[in-house]
Amino acid sequence: MKKTTLTFVSVCALFSAGLTHIGYSETFSEAFAKAKAAGLAEFSYNGNLYTTQTAEEAAKLTYGPFPITLKGYSGSKTNSVSYTGQIARHVLHDSLKKLAAKGSKDDMMSYYNGSDLNLAIVAPKSKDGFPVKQTTLNDISKGKNLSGKTYKGTMNAWPGQMTGKEALEFMINKAATVKGGVDTSTGYNYPQLISKFAMGAVFYNQAVDNYLDEKLSADNKPNSKPYKDGAYYTGKEHSWDEAFGYWGAAAHAMKLSPKENYEITKMKNLKAADANGDGVVDLKSEMQFAHAYYASSFDKGGKTNYLHTVTRAFIDGRQVITSANGNDLTDSQRDKLYELAETIGSNWEKVIAESVFKYAGSVYKDINKLKELLDSNSDTTEAFATYAKHWGELKGFSMALQAGKKNLGETAAYMNREIGFGPVLLNTSQVVGINSNGDYIKDESVSLDVYQMNMLKVQKLMIDKFKVEARSNDQTGKMAALADKLGDSDSAEND
Amino acid sequence: MTEFLFSIFEHFGDPRKRVFLGYIILAIGVAFFWLVKIKGLSIRESIFYIFDKRILLSESSRSDFKLFLLNRVFLMFVSPLLISQLAIATVIYYSLHASKWLHVGMWNESSQFIVISIFTIFVFILDDFTKFIVHRWMHKWPMLWSLHKVHHSATTLTPLTIYRTHPLEGVIFILRSSLTQGLSISTFVFMFGDKVDLYTVLGVNVFIFCFNVAGSNLRHSHIGIRYWPWLEYIIISPAQHQLHHSIAEKHYDKNFGVTLALWDWLFGSLIHSEDTEDLTLGVVDECDWSPHSLKKLYLYPFLEIFNILKMKVNNVFEIVSRKVKNKRQEM
Repeated sequence: MKKTTLTFVSVCALFSAGLTHIGYSETFSEAFAKAKAAGLAEFSYNGNLYTTQTAEEAAKLTYGPFPITLKGYSGSKTNSVSYTGQIARHVLHDSLKKLAAKGSKDDMMSYYNGSDLNLAIVAPKSKDGFPVKQTTLNDISKGKNLSGKTYKGTMNAWPGQMTGKEALEFMINKAATVKGGVDTSTGYNYPQLISKFAMGAVFYNQAVDNYLDEKLSADNKPNSKPYKDGAYYTGKEHSWDEAFGYWGAAAHAMKLSPKENYEITKMKNLKAADANGDGVVDLKSEMQFAHAYYASSFDKGGKTNYLHTVTRAFIDGRQVITSANGNDLTDSQRDKLYELAETIGSNWEKVIAESVFKYAGSVYKDINKLKELLDSNSDTTEAFATYAKHWGELKGFSMALQAGKKNLGETAAYMNREIGFGPVLLNTSQVVGINSNGDYIKDESVSLDVYQMNMLKVQKLMIDKFKVEARSNDQTGKMAALADKLGDSDSAEND
Repeated sequence: MTEFLFSIFEHFGDPRKRVFLGYIILAIGVAFFWLVKIKGLSIRESIFYIFDKRILLSESSRSDFKLFLLNRVFLMFVSPLLISQLAIATVIYYSLHASKWLHVGMWNESSQFIVISIFTIFVFILDDFTKFIVHRWMHKWPMLWSLHKVHHSATTLTPLTIYRTHPLEGVIFILRSSLTQGLSISTFVFMFGDKVDLYTVLGVNVFIFCFNVAGSNLRHSHIGIRYWPWLEYIIISPAQHQLHHSIAEKHYDKNFGVTLALWDWLFGSLIHSEDTEDLTLGVVDECDWSPHSLKKLYLYPFLEIFNILKMKVNNVFEIVSRKVKNKRQEM
């Protein structure tokens, strides 16, 4: 009797399982509707956390205006949002990158160190079909520089035991000594190195290591006091605004698709950029800069949502601060901000890691091209220039990744070793250090083939350590896809 | 909990698995055709023949099911610890970069149709061959045979008998699979780049699909379907595999192949099918433990392996002591 029951139960179980997983207990839309009706902000479904905010609701969000909450303020201002200083630094950076290819050290230094003179904006500048409102730095904010805000920790990724700031200045000096900012004897493309590293050493570092870190603590820049004497915004309001400014998204980024945001930086889509419809693009709020741009470039591939995730967290956090209404933040409000800062920091880091991943893939492909040309004894000048450019981006982003809040430890050591101080040159040599005169020392390197393998290792490192998902230029993704297709290899059966 | 149960039984809903319900239903269809058209049985007789409860519910078959359940749970925990095909592929892919005569994408100009066809055939053949060779080892090496004997101790065959496998043997099979897949993936992607792909039906290699649709489940059954002799040189028929399970001495160590008979032909272990009606299945051993008990199936192989190792150590010890003795006598 017992055996028959057991058999019967087993057969039923077999059958029900065989009919595969048809139907869940609750569909996603049901779970969504239920959470929405209950007035919850978030709900979990199949182990993941989702927001109850609909796409339309989220799309209405902009970073500002937010009301004045500062106690005792009697001026005429109505909007407490202010991050023009950060926009000015974005413009200094864009301009510096342009100038790095021109060779004048004085010009570069005046944008790096800032100037008492009213500097002209070199980039981004008006072009056909994309008029920009401001033409000089003072139109945005006076007296800003990059040098005062550059990462001061050691930068082991660059030869010579320098701080981040010293390394950036070293690069600027070297850029002035070579034509077009490109040194063919070492493979250094300075405009790329300077730009990609500066974005990390200034913007990313200032935001995640300063404004979203110590400036969030209770006794630093309290919300019950003005940020500084005479300001119309509170300490916490402005700290948060500055971090948002460094992120670089347009204030209305949530209303646009990743592709539209991307086209703003590319200066191709005036309609998307011009949020207030006045016919010109206001750099202070309508332009997209730096890492926000890279986020949009990955997101438009459809696999990731970095731009909206980070921008949304900034808006949510600003709402939390506004809701404190000029009083000191409560513990739970501060906890919420720390949580949002964590979201911002980790996604921002992933955007930089995605960039490292992408350019490691570019360098890999460039070496293929170079090997082909070498095999057929063809001219490699152009292919080498592309290789050097991509390597500069790879190196710059990898250095930026090391300018954040946390010490990457072993990950950084491994990444720096695989990429090296310089690209492997066609005669299998590579920069290995700097002598006391500040000249590069070169020595024998690994072969181009092995260097290609290093690029694969860098890509793998970005997957393993930073969980990158967009994976542009993935050089081993095909293998993962095939492995997936062949099926998990748990065929433990006796065929 | 329901998720856990689902994952235990998921093979029955997965076309990549032999026991996918669709294949089992098709196999029943094939069996019907064989019995009615070739053997001349009536439909009623065929039904009784196929669903013979003396076979389907025999003590041997019931132990197959128990092993199926326990092994699934065991492997659920163990297989994530084993090296994956992707890890192997990555290592091989890296090392190919250091090779002198190969370079990345050396043949990525080839036509996509050809690349996919070659890959699909290559994967199928390599997989089938490595299964053959590992199966052969399982029979020829005493310690492996101790493990593999668990499978052969089945005295009745049903599609579930494929799960009558010692878990350690299961681990060996998983590693074989990872290694062959890792090798195929890495070398093909290295040479042909992004064009590499697999021709599939329902997500399965098209060859495996055909094999399964054609009634592969009948290999482990009492339906002794035989092919034309010429075809049995190329593809193993169900009856040929049933002979592999026979207790008769003349059938020892024959027909190791899974899909292709070619390997057996090549290695001299092929025999053609014969009428399987009176075959006695199983293994001969001296153990007096109850043959289908879990204790016998899981633990006895360890005991045997221990005894084999002990014998080997004793042999070495004996040889050494004999040598020492000889030396002394010489002195």
